[in-house]
Amino acid sequence: MLYSRGLRRIGSAVLTVAIVVMISGSALLLGSDAAEPPVRIPSNVAWTATTIAKASSGNPLRGLIIARRCDRCHGREGFSSSPAVPNLAAMDRLVVWKQLDDFRSGKRSSPVMQPIANSLSEQDTADVAAYYWMMPIAPDPMDDRAFPQPLPDPKHEAVAVRLITAGDGSRGLPPCQACHGPIGLVTGAPSLTTQNAPYLLEQIEAFASGRRANDINLRMRSIATQLTEEERQALSESYGAGLAPSAGPPAR
Amino acid sequence: MPNSNSKVVLAPPPAEEQSGGEVKSSARKMIRVALISITLVCVWLTVRFPFQAESGLEYLLNGPNSVNPQTLHLRGEFVESNLGSTDDAGGGVTVRMIAEQYLFVPQCVVVPAGVPIRFRITSADVVHKLTISGTEDQIKAVPGYVVETRLQFPRAGVYEMPCHEFCGPGHYTMRSRLIAVPPEAFRNLSREARRDCALQ
Repeated sequence: MLYSRGLRRIGSAVLTVAIVVMISGSALLLGSDAAEPPVRIPSNVAWTATTIAKASSGNPLRGLIIARRCDRCHGREGFSSSPAVPNLAAMDRLVVWKQLDDFRSGKRSSPVMQPIANSLSEQDTADVAAYYWMMPIAPDPMDDRAFPQPLPDPKHEAVAVRLITAGDGSRGLPPCQACHGPIGLVTGAPSLTTQNAPYLLEQIEAFASGRRANDINLRMRSIATQLTEEERQALSESYGAGLAPSAGPPAR
Repeated sequence: MPNSNSKVVLAPPPAEEQSGGEVKSSARKMIRVALISITLVCVWLTVRFPFQAESGLEYLLNGPNSVNPQTLHLRGEFVESNLGSTDDAGGGVTVRMIAEQYLFVPQCVVVPAGVPIRFRITSADVVHKLTISGTEDQIKAVPGYVVETRLQFPRAGVYEMPCHEFCGPGHYTMRSRLIAVPPEAFRNLSREARRDCALQ
C-alpha cells in the first residue's frame, strides 16, 4: 500500500513537472515570437553548411551534358547571344544553385525557367552549377556573345562607377562591388562584372517593384527601391559595357 | 489462543490477495502516467508547433535569446513580414531589425516619440553596431543572438543610425534612419508606412 502510493505520487509529480515545463516553455516561445499571420518567406534556401556542401557537390562533366539544354538561350560557353538573357560563365556555383531552387519552388517566377528547373533534380542542379562555374570569361571568337554592349550615354559611366566603387552613404547605399565582386563577395550574390545590360536593368526594376522578391533578408529590394531611374540605367549599362572596375572572375 | 491463532491464519489470504492486486493496478497506472508524461515531453522537445520559433530541444540548447543567423528568413520573429515597428499585445511598440553586410533592414523605421520602445536586433553575418545620432545609445548586433534594449526618444525628429563596428568593405555606407513622430501620428500610420520611409 505504502509502496504503491509512493509510486503514484512520483508518477503524478513527474507529470506535473512535465506539464509545467511545457507550458512555461511554450509561453516563453510565444512571448518572443509575435509574428504577424501572413509570414512571407523569400526563398527556401538558407546558407547553412549542409546547403553549401550540397550546392558545391556538383560534377562538372555531368553538368556539361545537362547544360546542352541551356545552350540555345545561355550560349554554349555561358555567354548569351541575346542581351536580355543572363550570362552564366564563371558564375558562382551557389548563385546558379539558389536561383534554380527558387525557380523550382516558385519563389522566383519565370514562364521559361520554372518548367526547366522543375525538370532538374537536386544533383542535376549542382552539376549544371559546377559546369558554368568552370567556364572561362575570356573572349572567344567562336561564340557570338552579346557582351559587352556599347555604352549609349557616356555620362552614365561616372554615376555608375561612383555607385559601384563607393556607394552613397547619405542614403545607406553600399558600393555594389562590396557584395558583387571583385572587392568582396557575399554568399549567394552573383558576380556582375560580365553581365548583360538589359537583363540587369530588368532585375533592378523587378526588385524595386517587388515583382522579384527572392533575395534573403530584403537586401536587393532595400537597395533597388532607393536607386533613381537614371542610376538604374547607368548601373546596368556600365556593367553591360564591361566597365566595372577590374572585370574578371572573383578571387577565391 | 488457538481460536485467535486460527483467525489470524484464516484472515490473511484475502487481505494478501487484495493488497497484491492493488499494487499491480497502481503500478500499471503509474506506468501509464509515466508513459504519457514521457510522450508529452518528447513531443514538446521535438515538434516545432506553428506558433513556435524553435522546438523545445532547440530552445533548451540555444537559450531564450538565440537564433540561427542563416535561417532568419525562414522562421521565427525575424521573418521579413515581421520586421520594423510592431504593436505589442501589451500596448508597447517593438522594433525588430536585422543587421547584415551592408544594410540594416528595414532601412528606415518610424517610432512614436516619448514612449519607451523595445528594440530586438540580431545580425545575419558578422558583428555590427547601431549608433543612434544625437544620443549616447549604441546597440550591438551579434550573429546568433538577439540583443534587446529599451530606448526612448524624447523629441520627434530624424535620427541617423550608422554602423559603428567595422564589418567589411561596404561598412562606411551602412546606415539606417529612425523617424520619431508624435504618438497620435504614429497610431494613424499603416504598417507599410511605418517601414517604407527610406525615400522620404
